[in-house]
Amino acid sequence: MLRSRRSEISTAAVLMAPFVVIYGVLFVYPTIKMVHLSFTNAPLIGPGKWVGFDNFARLWSDRLFSTAVWNTFYFVALSVIPGTLVALLVALGVNRLKGWLQSLVLAAFFLPYILPVSVVVQIWGWMFDKDFGVAQYAIAPFNGGQHLAVFRIVPLFIPAVAFVTVWWCLGFSVLLYIAGLRNISSEIYEAANLDGAGRWTTFRRITWPLIWPVTVLVFTIQLILQFKIFDQVYLLATRPDSTMVMVQYIYKQAFQMNKGGLASAASVILFLLIIILSVLQYQLLRTRGER
Amino acid sequence: MTASAGLASDLTAAPAARRVRRLRRFDLAGLLITLVTLVAAVIFAFPLYWGLVTTFKPEYEIVRPGVELWPERFTIENYVHVLTQTKIGLWYVNSLITSGAVTVIVIIMAAGAGYAISQLSFPGRRLFWWMILASFMVPIPALIVTHFIVLSQLGLINTLAGVVGPQLIAPVTVIIYKQFFDSVPKDFREAAVIDGANDFQLLFRIYLPMNWGVTTALAIITFIGAWNLFLWPFLAISSEDKMNITVGITQVHDAFGVQYGRDLAVAMLAALPVALVYLIFQRRVTQAIMLSAGIKG
Amino acid sequence: MSAEAPANTGSVAAATAAGAGGGAPHVELRRVTKRYGAVTAITDLNLTVEKGSFTALLGPSGCGKSTLLRMIAGLEEITAGQCFIDNVDVTGTPPAKRRIAMVFQSYALYPHMTVRQNIAFSLSVAGRSKKIQNERALEVARILELEPYLDRRPAELSGGQRQRVAIGRALVRKPEVFLFDEPLSNLDAKLRVQMRVELAKLHAELGATMIYVTHDQTEAMTLADKIVVLDKGVISQVGSPLELYNAPANKFVAAFIGSPGMNFVAADIAAMNGRTASVILPGGRTAEIGVSAGANARLAELGVRPEHLTIVDPNDPQAAFAGAVAIIEHLGNATILYVDTPAGQLIVEGEGDLDAKPGQTVGLRLSESHARLFGETGATL
Repeated sequence: MLRSRRSEISTAAVLMAPFVVIYGVLFVYPTIKMVHLSFTNAPLIGPGKWVGFDNFARLWSDRLFSTAVWNTFYFVALSVIPGTLVALLVALGVNRLKGWLQSLVLAAFFLPYILPVSVVVQIWGWMFDKDFGVAQYAIAPFNGGQHLAVFRIVPLFIPAVAFVTVWWCLGFSVLLYIAGLRNISSEIYEAANLDGAGRWTTFRRITWPLIWPVTVLVFTIQLILQFKIFDQVYLLATRPDSTMVMVQYIYKQAFQMNKGGLASAASVILFLLIIILSVLQYQLLRTRGER
Repeated sequence: MTASAGLASDLTAAPAARRVRRLRRFDLAGLLITLVTLVAAVIFAFPLYWGLVTTFKPEYEIVRPGVELWPERFTIENYVHVLTQTKIGLWYVNSLITSGAVTVIVIIMAAGAGYAISQLSFPGRRLFWWMILASFMVPIPALIVTHFIVLSQLGLINTLAGVVGPQLIAPVTVIIYKQFFDSVPKDFREAAVIDGANDFQLLFRIYLPMNWGVTTALAIITFIGAWNLFLWPFLAISSEDKMNITVGITQVHDAFGVQYGRDLAVAMLAALPVALVYLIFQRRVTQAIMLSAGIKG
Repeated sequence: MSAEAPANTGSVAAATAAGAGGGAPHVELRRVTKRYGAVTAITDLNLTVEKGSFTALLGPSGCGKSTLLRMIAGLEEITAGQCFIDNVDVTGTPPAKRRIAMVFQSYALYPHMTVRQNIAFSLSVAGRSKKIQNERALEVARILELEPYLDRRPAELSGGQRQRVAIGRALVRKPEVFLFDEPLSNLDAKLRVQMRVELAKLHAELGATMIYVTHDQTEAMTLADKIVVLDKGVISQVGSPLELYNAPANKFVAAFIGSPGMNFVAADIAAMNGRTASVILPGGRTAEIGVSAGANARLAELGVRPEHLTIVDPNDPQAAFAGAVAIIEHLGNATILYVDTPAGQLIVEGEGDLDAKPGQTVGLRLSESHARLFGETGATL
């Protein structure tokens, strides 16, 4: 198309300017700085001396950091796997409904995802409240009649937070699954029915394979999302050090212990872990046809 | 398999009876599944209901043993207290300002950049595109330390502008705009060019209007995301006056000790705007979620 | 380059063609070349379009007709050569400043705007007042009978109405040249005929210069006063519809124009006698076909149109071919016969009441004055 090169470039400059400024200041520079800081012993604000891989060595031997890493993996496993499966079951059920009933039920499952995390924490803190929480009626029989301060018992903490998180984020995965299920033409089910396939067989040999790409998508999106967990854990924790997760560790080191360099090193580790997961996601999705 | 045995005997029966028999067998299991789903939905929504109904009970009722699904004495005293005794009004305003600002700036930035990358050719175009795709992989929580440093260098810590800053990184929005602009047939562009339109007129009078639905969906979801954000506003703001509502309600919790009704009331008030937005714009929100997941897939 | 000869023919034909708009060149392409990377689509092409004429750019897919149109519009860059509109060099001018208007194949009507807004868009872009926009839009809508639809959206209109809106959008700009890129291909057959008549009326009313791209030779033949036939980026022939029909310059044009298409059979040239050649047809018969002065060849192809073959008794001594009827198509106003002969399958067009049966053996007489010979390069002898 005939146009002057100069005018095209100047137009592009104007349109790209906000993006470039924002990204430069808030993405490119901070990322570079993060890497740089991880090699120094700087406090939160202010310069520091170069210390090479010292911070990383310190992380390696820091029990708190390994607790945080372990807890993060543990939490992710407990929330993403059940979350994905439950979402599929819910989607299968909701997909059978029609019209306004389906919209209503879908809204019921999706609404929690819209809520801010502090509201979710407030609701479930209340549900599990040791003294007056309504969930105690379900818990007490399993605890010898005694109420249980779920979030204060260290071994129970991560599973409980995972439970709350699954409730919170389920709607998102259900939505994706429903979209995937809708893409399977009803004719395939009719053909299976004519071939004499029962419900379970149909699910196992038709629905599950056809929905596999969505399963991978849901799983990996949640995986990467939950790795960055902070809010719920911070808000519900009573003994932060025992139930620490990675972003919380970064927070503690930077904003409570004033160790900017160390926190940046932990950030770099988190960053690398997530990159590996993202690449994994990309690879899994690319080969999705081959199952 | 009972199904096939049943079908075999079905074939020998008269057509109408055959149909009825097949339908009935199918219905039972299906009906069961539907019932289970409905029950599950009720159970799933229960915590929300329970939290809500608790806010309408007086405190002495709340701490009584026993489960009352409806308040014996329906009251709004918890809300009155919260609205008059906490800074919730301020927090609402702060949330509105920051969420609104984030939404407006992100949409403008993303539409502009999306259009430029999609329709114009300029040096560095490919570089920017790769940069956007790469910014997916960097988790924002990993950048909290350096964001804090940068914003304090700019003197924006403990200001609303500082809260807005890091939220402007929205690669998904740019990508979605670019894809939608790519899908506009070239004919429209050529016709408008012959009619004398320049790029700004093209963007505002052709490309954006033809994709209004996308803009609405993205704006809503950006707004909700900004409203619900906890980590960054928590770090960036230290004075209660400037908090957004998501952070604010956690402060109430600490200040008042254990007053269940009031704590929950303030949480409900925090959730109200986004819940309303969702219920009104359900379709758009759903669309936006699918779009952003489509990108990651 | 073989393009030189037909290129010259273009301007010469323009100067002498009786059917052309007759007069000042309005659009000129001089030695235009178009390259896409390593691929050259058009080389060294010359073309002249007269003021007020309806010129069709005709050819099969990929022949470069749309590319030419878009180069005139300014939507494609001209790799080498120049484009002139009204004697002004517009080669480097952006489309909006060339005083042209274009009707796209897909119409490209802005779906989110009403018919009125669509038509007035160019005025709005130029910043003209709302009053002028409405006035001009109304004016145009009246000419095209679109008044009742001014406030509707394109999605609510029929195919023919949308087409008229597209034309209206072009009209409102009062351009010097109207460009049409296969505007009728998206319409069904009946509608196409209707719109063709409307376009012809429009041209008669406005007297504006129109350049029209199509692959449909019927459209070109019925609408244009000058047709430019293109073959793989090269001008094959330029002339009025009847010229192209009766005096094709080469086999490509002869085959492309006319429906059903011309029949071609191999012919051995026995002797050249000045302005005629004696040819031996497959099957043994001979014929005397007129050639132009100075033509010379041994092997050629004989071309004869279906309507210039007549059904005769198979034993008729004047019959050039004989064979069995394979298929008969009754059209009502004509009958098409597919006859298998030693020379291949020949198509014959006869009267509507022609009596013949499949399998029947027939003889075919050929009208020698209407037949043509084509040499090895395809050019008419």
